[in-house]
Amino acid sequence: MLELHNITKFFLQNTEPTLKSINLKVGEGEYCVILGSNGSGKSTLLKVISGEYQADSGVVILNGKNVTKHSLHTRAKEIGSVAQDVNKGTIDDMTLLENISLSKMRGRSAKYKFFTNQTNEIVKDIKLLGLDLEKYVNTNISSLSGGQRQSIASLMAMSPKPKLLLLDEHTSALDPRSKEKIMSFTDSYIKNHNITTIMITHSIADAISYGNRLIVMHHGVIEYDVSGTEKSKLTEQTILDILHRIGGPL
Amino acid sequence: MINTLIEIAPSGLMQGLILSILVTGVMVPFRLLNFPDLTAEGSYPLGGALCASLIVAGLHPLLSLAIASTAAGIVGICTAIIYIRYKVNTLLAGIILSTMVYSINLRAMGKPNIALFELPNLFQNIAHGISPQIITLLIINLVIMGALYSFLNTEKGLQFRATGLNPKVAEKFGVDLNRNIIAGLFIGNAFSGLAGGLLVQIQGYADIGIGVGIVIHALAAMMIGEKLIGTNSILKLTIAPFIGSIIYQQLQGVALAAGLAPSDLKLLTGAIVLGIIALR
Repeated sequence: MLELHNITKFFLQNTEPTLKSINLKVGEGEYCVILGSNGSGKSTLLKVISGEYQADSGVVILNGKNVTKHSLHTRAKEIGSVAQDVNKGTIDDMTLLENISLSKMRGRSAKYKFFTNQTNEIVKDIKLLGLDLEKYVNTNISSLSGGQRQSIASLMAMSPKPKLLLLDEHTSALDPRSKEKIMSFTDSYIKNHNITTIMITHSIADAISYGNRLIVMHHGVIEYDVSGTEKSKLTEQTILDILHRIGGPL
Repeated sequence: MINTLIEIAPSGLMQGLILSILVTGVMVPFRLLNFPDLTAEGSYPLGGALCASLIVAGLHPLLSLAIASTAAGIVGICTAIIYIRYKVNTLLAGIILSTMVYSINLRAMGKPNIALFELPNLFQNIAHGISPQIITLLIINLVIMGALYSFLNTEKGLQFRATGLNPKVAEKFGVDLNRNIIAGLFIGNAFSGLAGGLLVQIQGYADIGIGVGIVIHALAAMMIGEKLIGTNSILKLTIAPFIGSIIYQQLQGVALAAGLAPSDLKLLTGAIVLGIIALR
């Protein structure tokens, strides 16, 4: 589904690269959780996959196609992503309806038909979040709190169903109750639609509860990669031990 | 003064209705794409120059207007390509193109001005006299506003607006920014060329200097409209150039009636722009 070959990314020449020759294969329907300390290269890796950053060397293959040189908007037809930064997930000066309508066109060409025709369908989608946000459908999204906007950004990333979903701490701005709801919503959506997913988290509990593969990154390198039954056997203590061995705080 | 005002109000209204088309053309890249574009300084006179030359060559005034407007739109595409391909600053790309187009305009006209008094024009055929001319221009404005408003409410229009509001997020949703910039600059400059073509047909002559400082006039009119009705909806964005242009042109009439010389009007325009910026 997704293959990364020798991906290296520098931000400043003559310094240590943020990503050091990363090799990764993610199969169809796999749900990977990435753990790692700040600066370990997790977000950069997701941005290289989405096309937001171009790798300095290496190859990105998506569904058998070499997409290394493809732009962000071309890759967006197959990839849905939620950024850690709330301001990078939605367009402030547009309403919820406009934002979600925009996201729904991602996988196809926009048409000369009124986007308001989809209002009922979009209200139904917002209701699925269970956060009572549907009443704001015609409200400017900037009037919503950071957490509410992040929830809408998650909905937007998943609608329409992407082939690959990239979640970069997509619940970081949410209160515990809303976080629970969004985690459960994304988890069931991913499982029901068999969406290949890569999720970044700082929560060991989430790394245990979600996904069928765990990747730990440190200093731009994949230090640990476990999946299947091995992953399901992981406990908080074993993950802490792994992190301690690697040498990076979470 | 009142008598002078009443006397010049209809021609001010007519000029306002032409200016409104140009201001819409300037608003499209400025407000919808967040692309400050000065190409109108070249595309507006190009519309006038080409339209006049084609009428002189014997083409139908309507066909001349369509060709002139399309050519002005193509100049907009050139600005967009310079910006996209060579990463040139938007303002500089517009200045380069408008400077180049000045020479093209002179080539097209063959001389600095062309008289069209004896030649057929659009308004001679369908609207003789000032009132029918105003009605015709009003209809053209309504069609442009209606089309733009409808377009902005479509899926394509939503992507178009997203390009200007937040290009990074828009790209994440599959919006092709470059395609929208090219389309937007074509549309904007085609409107500017259309305004130039209509102006030369109404006034009966084309002059190489009609574009000098025209963008600042358009900005003043746009800002008046936006200040008065706001910009927080698609409808307001679409109507603001129309309202602003009519008021701006009448303000100029008031200034002339109050005794200001025509040469002082540019000073007034600059003062209006600065005043609105200060009031924000």
